[in-house]
Amino acid sequence: MSKFGSKLQVAGCKSPWLKDTCQLPHATCTPRRIGFGSLSNYAKSSLWFIAILGMMVWLTSCTTADDSWERVQAAGVLRVGLDPTYPPFEVDDGSGVYGLDVDLAQAIAADLGVDVQFVYFGYDGLYDALATEQVDVLISALVIMVERTRDFSYSEPYFNAGEILIVPADNSIIETMADLSGKTVAVELGSLGHVEATEWAKRVVDLAIVTFPTADEAITAVQQNDADAALVDAVNGRLYLRNHDDLKRLPESVTVEPFALVVRSEDEQLLDVLNQSLATLQQSGQLDQIEANWLGP
Amino acid sequence: MKRPFPNLHFHNGSRLLLLITLIWLIQPAPLLIVPGPTQTVHTSRPIVGVHTRLTDEVEEWKIQRSLEMVRQMGAPWIVELFPWAYYHAADGGIAWDHPDMVIEHAHAQGLQVIARIGLTPGWARPPDTPLNYLDATAYDDFAEFAARFAERYQGKLAAIIVGNEPNLSFEWGYREGTAVDYTNLLKTVYPAVKAANPDVLVLGGALAPTLEPAGSPWGLNDLEYLDQMYVAGAADYFDGLAVHTYGLTFPALAEPAPDILNFRRVELVREVMLRHNDADTQIYITEFGWNDHPRWTMAVRPGQRIQNTLDAFTYAEENWPYVEMIAIWAFRFPAPTKSYMDNFTLVTPEFVTKPIYTELQEFTGNE
Repeated sequence: MSKFGSKLQVAGCKSPWLKDTCQLPHATCTPRRIGFGSLSNYAKSSLWFIAILGMMVWLTSCTTADDSWERVQAAGVLRVGLDPTYPPFEVDDGSGVYGLDVDLAQAIAADLGVDVQFVYFGYDGLYDALATEQVDVLISALVIMVERTRDFSYSEPYFNAGEILIVPADNSIIETMADLSGKTVAVELGSLGHVEATEWAKRVVDLAIVTFPTADEAITAVQQNDADAALVDAVNGRLYLRNHDDLKRLPESVTVEPFALVVRSEDEQLLDVLNQSLATLQQSGQLDQIEANWLGP
Repeated sequence: MKRPFPNLHFHNGSRLLLLITLIWLIQPAPLLIVPGPTQTVHTSRPIVGVHTRLTDEVEEWKIQRSLEMVRQMGAPWIVELFPWAYYHAADGGIAWDHPDMVIEHAHAQGLQVIARIGLTPGWARPPDTPLNYLDATAYDDFAEFAARFAERYQGKLAAIIVGNEPNLSFEWGYREGTAVDYTNLLKTVYPAVKAANPDVLVLGGALAPTLEPAGSPWGLNDLEYLDQMYVAGAADYFDGLAVHTYGLTFPALAEPAPDILNFRRVELVREVMLRHNDADTQIYITEFGWNDHPRWTMAVRPGQRIQNTLDAFTYAEENWPYVEMIAIWAFRFPAPTKSYMDNFTLVTPEFVTKPIYTELQEFTGNE
């Protein structure tokens, strides 16, 4: 039996058949004899149908016991797992951990009225650490992966790290990749932007691709009029734009690579609380401010 | 109107049967996948190989597509894992379906196959031991399987690698596998394979590049382990030496040194071979490459990965006459590994080629 098995026991349920079919920790059943003797067969059938339908609705609305948020509250601390080797999201250079994700975790913890504790793991060990309950949540620039959703749940995305187009600040012609017909796009050799541009070149007439060893050099090519646009990831692109106001990024991202918080799939209560907190930070403008602090406007 | 067949009546059951038969007849035929006529690999770089990962690939068309793309990239060699544990039952029965599929399709694409054999079936190891646990009591069984494998694929199999990275305790199921242990395995497997198929080469080694010191629970320095293999008398029991060498964060041409793990560590391996008068034995680099994952500390930028890879092939061609082939780890995985391992590949699970694939295709004259 799994360690969560005990949570799935039926408690207080007096109907014996429900013990096998209903995994309801807080379920209570009050069996009641229903007298159908005086009704017609049609009425009896209808009543049975309604009763079964009602039972199905009730069963599907059941939830298992989830005290994940209560556990965090009781401990008074939100344990956050991260790999502090990924600037500007999380870095520990010996002077302590800092970065966008660190600020985000602290803002969430403050909003929820708990302390935050950062626990370090290697990138490949993050999910294992979460699965083995060494932390409550991962906040480490992790991309939502459908393949992981059997065991883990993702929050609403808080950042899109997908590929973006960077063009001269006075550009008014290029708004999407489709506008690059007859033009030149600069990419980092071998990057996802390179792969994406290659795919677009199959559909956009006369789209020329020029490659550079780094994303910065690809963007520089736009400044030097060697390319009409650069297709680079949002992190590198935005970091570059912080010091170059002769360029701008187009608002529509070419690809989507959403970063999100990660919790264990059974910790739905905690996920709800984290999502509410993200929404609060979004509405207050705090989330945008954190992002701008590290990546520019 | 008069019915044409007045005495012909169908009961409901017969009608249902007729309907089912009709539906069965009109259903599309299953996808027919045949290896097809034997192709030829066109390449100006016969040293280029790839380590495929078809063991976990279920769908035959994907196996075929992978191998077709290997050929189109201009790589004449593949290295592939054939797990003993997956095929061999205790009663001697062997499920050949999957290895047949891989070997036949590779042969049809004109590829030379180097088969890495490993992983022990449950019946050949003690209870509660991991899949890669192997001890001396199972060496004869291992050798028998390797021999039957070699015999079955006569003319379609270039070489067999005995085990994988034996200088790591992990590869023995976390028991200490000394160089003497591994040499004893070679001494058991080599004559069995040669008796079954004298044409197939037996490759030893495939040691993990590591700096682990003597006494480490994890493994032993590959150069030291190889030296101990020779001392234990391994030289007569392998035709070629399989070598793993990764560039990590170093450029391809970075100088080798005993305390550094980089691509040219192969030269230090060669020195060990020469010290033991084994100059005639060829090296087969069955795993090598660079990684471009943005989060792995041992990775490089994608462009560096491409350049390092091309430099490595060129350098090996020009400077290492004793190296027969070099296989990039890894061509493609059937599904994402969800880790930095995905950034070793040349092709995505969806068969989208990465720029490094295109560069290699050009490198081999297949643009």
